[in-house]
Amino acid sequence: MDALIAAAGPLKAGKGAPHHGRRKPLTSHKTVDRGSEKESIDPSTLSILGSTRLPHAFHDTPHASGSGTSSSTLRPDPSVSKIKDKKLRAKVARTDVATQRANRERNDVNEWLNAPLGGAAGGIEVDHEAGERTWRIGQGEIESAVGLSSRGKKFDLKFDGLGEYVVDYTRNGRHLAIASKLGHVATFDWQAGKLHSEIQLRETVRDIKFLQSESFYAVAQKKYVYIYDQDGVELHKLKQHIEPLHLEFLPYHYLLVSSGHAGYLKYHDVSTGTLLTQIPSRLGSPPSMTQNAHSGIIHLGHTNGTMTLWSPNMTTPHVKLLAHRGPVSCMAVDPSERSAGRYTVTGGMDGMVKLWDGRMWGKEVKSWHLRNRPQTLSFSGRGMLAIGGKGGVTVYNDLHSGSSADSVPAPYLNLPTPSLTAHSAKFCPFDDILAVGHSRGISSLLVPGSGEPNFDSGELDVFESRTRRREREVRGVLDKIRPELITLDTEFLGKVGDQDRGTYEERQGKSYRQLGRMERLALAGEGGEDSDAVAVANGETVEGVSDGDGNANESTRPIKKDKERHKARGKGTGMKKYLKKKRKNVIDPALIAMRAKVAAQRQADEQKRKIASGEVKKETGALARFG
Amino acid sequence: MPISFEPVHQASLAQTAFATANPNGGKKFEKTSPLGALFLSIPIATSMKISMISRSLDDHLPSSSSAPHPLQRNLAPHLHPFAKPREYTRALNAVKIDRMFAKPFVGALGGHQDGVYCLGKDPRRVSVVAAGGGDGEVIVHSLTLRRPLLKIPNAHRGMVGGVCWTSDARDGKRGIISCGKLDGTVKIWKSDAFAPGRRDDGSDDEEEILDLAGAVGENDYDEEDDLAMDEKARDARGKNLEPVMSYTTKTGFNSIDHHYTDSAFATGSNTVQVWDETRTAPLSTLQFGSSLESVTAVRFNKSETSVLASVGGDRSMCLYDIRTGKAERRLVMQFRSNCLSWCPTLPTVLLLGSEDHNNYTYDIRNLESPTQIYKGHVGGVMGCDWSPTGEEFVSGSYDRTIRLWSRDAGKSRDVYHTKRMQRVFDVTFTPTADYVLSASDDGNVRIWKSEASRKIGPVSTKERQSMEYRKALVDRWSSVSDIRAVKDRRHVPQSVHNATKLKREMIESRNVKEDRRRKHSRAGREKPKAERKKAVIVEQK
Repeated sequence: MDALIAAAGPLKAGKGAPHHGRRKPLTSHKTVDRGSEKESIDPSTLSILGSTRLPHAFHDTPHASGSGTSSSTLRPDPSVSKIKDKKLRAKVARTDVATQRANRERNDVNEWLNAPLGGAAGGIEVDHEAGERTWRIGQGEIESAVGLSSRGKKFDLKFDGLGEYVVDYTRNGRHLAIASKLGHVATFDWQAGKLHSEIQLRETVRDIKFLQSESFYAVAQKKYVYIYDQDGVELHKLKQHIEPLHLEFLPYHYLLVSSGHAGYLKYHDVSTGTLLTQIPSRLGSPPSMTQNAHSGIIHLGHTNGTMTLWSPNMTTPHVKLLAHRGPVSCMAVDPSERSAGRYTVTGGMDGMVKLWDGRMWGKEVKSWHLRNRPQTLSFSGRGMLAIGGKGGVTVYNDLHSGSSADSVPAPYLNLPTPSLTAHSAKFCPFDDILAVGHSRGISSLLVPGSGEPNFDSGELDVFESRTRRREREVRGVLDKIRPELITLDTEFLGKVGDQDRGTYEERQGKSYRQLGRMERLALAGEGGEDSDAVAVANGETVEGVSDGDGNANESTRPIKKDKERHKARGKGTGMKKYLKKKRKNVIDPALIAMRAKVAAQRQADEQKRKIASGEVKKETGALARFG
Repeated sequence: MPISFEPVHQASLAQTAFATANPNGGKKFEKTSPLGALFLSIPIATSMKISMISRSLDDHLPSSSSAPHPLQRNLAPHLHPFAKPREYTRALNAVKIDRMFAKPFVGALGGHQDGVYCLGKDPRRVSVVAAGGGDGEVIVHSLTLRRPLLKIPNAHRGMVGGVCWTSDARDGKRGIISCGKLDGTVKIWKSDAFAPGRRDDGSDDEEEILDLAGAVGENDYDEEDDLAMDEKARDARGKNLEPVMSYTTKTGFNSIDHHYTDSAFATGSNTVQVWDETRTAPLSTLQFGSSLESVTAVRFNKSETSVLASVGGDRSMCLYDIRTGKAERRLVMQFRSNCLSWCPTLPTVLLLGSEDHNNYTYDIRNLESPTQIYKGHVGGVMGCDWSPTGEEFVSGSYDRTIRLWSRDAGKSRDVYHTKRMQRVFDVTFTPTADYVLSASDDGNVRIWKSEASRKIGPVSTKERQSMEYRKALVDRWSSVSDIRAVKDRRHVPQSVHNATKLKREMIESRNVKEDRRRKHSRAGREKPKAERKKAVIVEQK
């Protein structure tokens, strides 16, 4: 048959019928002469070659760095070969290679776009051999050395008698918000010198934070958190946040986080206006709070020297570690390229500064002692660390240099504020500026080489226009990440579970086919919790998992309650039990009301059941409605 | 206490840049990166230099009020935090948007007095389809006008077995060829109303005068006798239309297919017969061995145009070559197939729609087992057709639904149904792959979009880009359960839903029984058989 197909020609068209002088219909069955050196072929064997070509994306093209992305050099990850399903394996391998290629091309493009010419990356360069040190250079020297436009960025705003100032930049570094202890709040575009709002609140203000853009900011005041707009008009009073101490805003999740005097951590969704969750830290009033901008995890520093890491999804901290022998007064997470949220620095009242690695919390990477206790910490876009305390701010450039854990890193710059304590210091994103808030106002200081020079205007635009800001805000709300996706491991999402479950028969000696549908789903990890599988085994009704056709598959088997198991695993079981028991005795009006409600409901249900079964006759008279 | 600023003069940057050229060192510490972030470096001591970020407004603000805002990119991952969760959120939104816009039904083409049992699409024209009814009526529909172009009320006595379009090999005009299931006739119909043929526009260039559209009411047609407007005239014309050719035998025909270029056609009755348009008797009768069983469908291969395949009531699929006039292969399967379709791009791939609710693709080079089983219907598959790309196909079933499949996946991509659509007897893709047509018992031909959420009409570049981006996102994240749940979820009629449940239970219990039997038989005696191997009983050469 095959030989026949290959060899035979077509039927001759229209026997005897007139052709009306038209062309002979095209057939594919003639050999094509391809020139002298090649043999002639039947076009049907290569029938698609003429009309197809390799997509452009798969062509080998030289790139900026000279590395051609030849697909032959890209191999899928070896673990892909373990996948048994042929089609899935091919798909995963293809995706893997495409990802590798995309990464490689991204690096090439980025190198082409953003590599500094001449290799230098900005900052101060001195001759070490000649005994010059960068930390000897004062602001005056820098000011006189840099151009006029940079000189204009150094300024002081003097406000006497208003208390210590807190500062905050918008994420693009364009706008600055300041708030004094005694209630002086102002926001302004510091580059254009344009004041947006200035208000005197006449009560204690503890923190200020910009929300998604400069148009809104949240202020932690004496009793509650308030939200103001660009013109300083009070928009919201968030009464759920009582006596707030610190504020953080997670811009991709639209969550305003506050920690208050009572030790509660509260997540407020500002896009819907609902309080997402409130978590008791049970460690008292936290002296410090910060966020990891790369994972959305909130760090809390406590008075007993511990640091805890929180997400809205767990009522217990993800990590709890004893960082200092005294209150943790300040913390900062490094957002720069090398760290990307991995390294954290804490400063304690014990005068120590410690650098932690998020991959291994067991021991600090580095720690050193400061003469003046650290009051505030800030990381710049290039990974410089500013430590503010009594007498000024010290900036460190390379924290990771020096091998031993106890070696003190050499400072990069000293920025003294004579007779003043730096209460709050913040690096300006995408600029070489450090804003320091102290008891006599704020100072904007020059720190050459600290900022990330190349911003991405698709993400954060320093020169954002009004229309582009609006566009970004709408897109931002559309792309709002669900709070459930805040995890310690940022790579968790979309990863394939790698543990080998084995076949069911291997584990149970029971045929997979003999299982019910719910059991199978549970086995495949689709049925949700293991508890569901247990419930099925006990004949309990489980909420039907909708099948492909959308209707829930409800079973009507009798309900049989399984006795709750009291077998707890893990350490400290006794303590947990003890605490649980202890909690039982706490008289909480809300809990009492809830219990009463549940009891009433249960009684009503019981009554209904009795009526249905005929044990009790239902009152049908006119007075029945009165119970 | 108001804040006052000293104004910052950005404009003076150019002067500064000039002034920084080191006069004595002869070395200029000035660098610009392509983005426009400028490091100004000034030597202040012997060997010290300080460079700071300084951005020129010329690079970062639009040059005029109408100019676009200048963009700059930095693709470094640390400047794009939460890349994965954001993409996931977008993918979830994309898949929801896709389901929200899923409105596949376009319209119904009525006019039949009885159910529609066969469709004939014109492979060369997009907007015309012929449909054969249960009362012997053949109607040529225009998809663009959504009304009949011509009705031939008594084309056959009794049901129409099949309808398709002829080639223009014989007289340069194309027409419809239809066969009767009961009256045993094949008739060729030609009319200006639905296929005016090649028109001579006076020029010598032959390429210009192909019969592109040219049916009544379509663009570029000069409506001489006002057929497009006057229904009565149209009906009268259809009534009075006489077949160009008529062929009669004693047995009724179940299926007909015309050769793509030649004037030959093949019919299926109790045998497969090959005819020439000019002769009243069949050229040859094709038969495997001596089996006389009703042939339900017969189709020419699209590329190897003289290869013919048929499926019959004896659960068989047969391959013929009309050049040798012999049956080459016969495949006997577990269940009878109702329909078949050759893949237009892969010449060896053959699709069968079976009575056991499944579709099967076979590679005719290896007929031992199907290459893929497509499960999903809960009634026998009555009609199937490939999309012109050969990547997808559509099948219509007795369970009142039609399903769309991609060639390499055993589960259907989509399922379409309406309350009023009854048993589907034939389906076809339009030659542009945009639409799917279904013919059903209720006397309507329905037009469906081949992609349920695709927008009909012009699409701007931006819109198209965002749609493509959404599609890529869904593809990429479709293995994540949340997204897959939204993507795969379909509402089906209660009857189909119940039938699916019942079928699943039956299959499971059967499998359990088989397992138990195997458990109690001697080890290795009854080996489990792969599902694909079960479909074929025997292959005869």
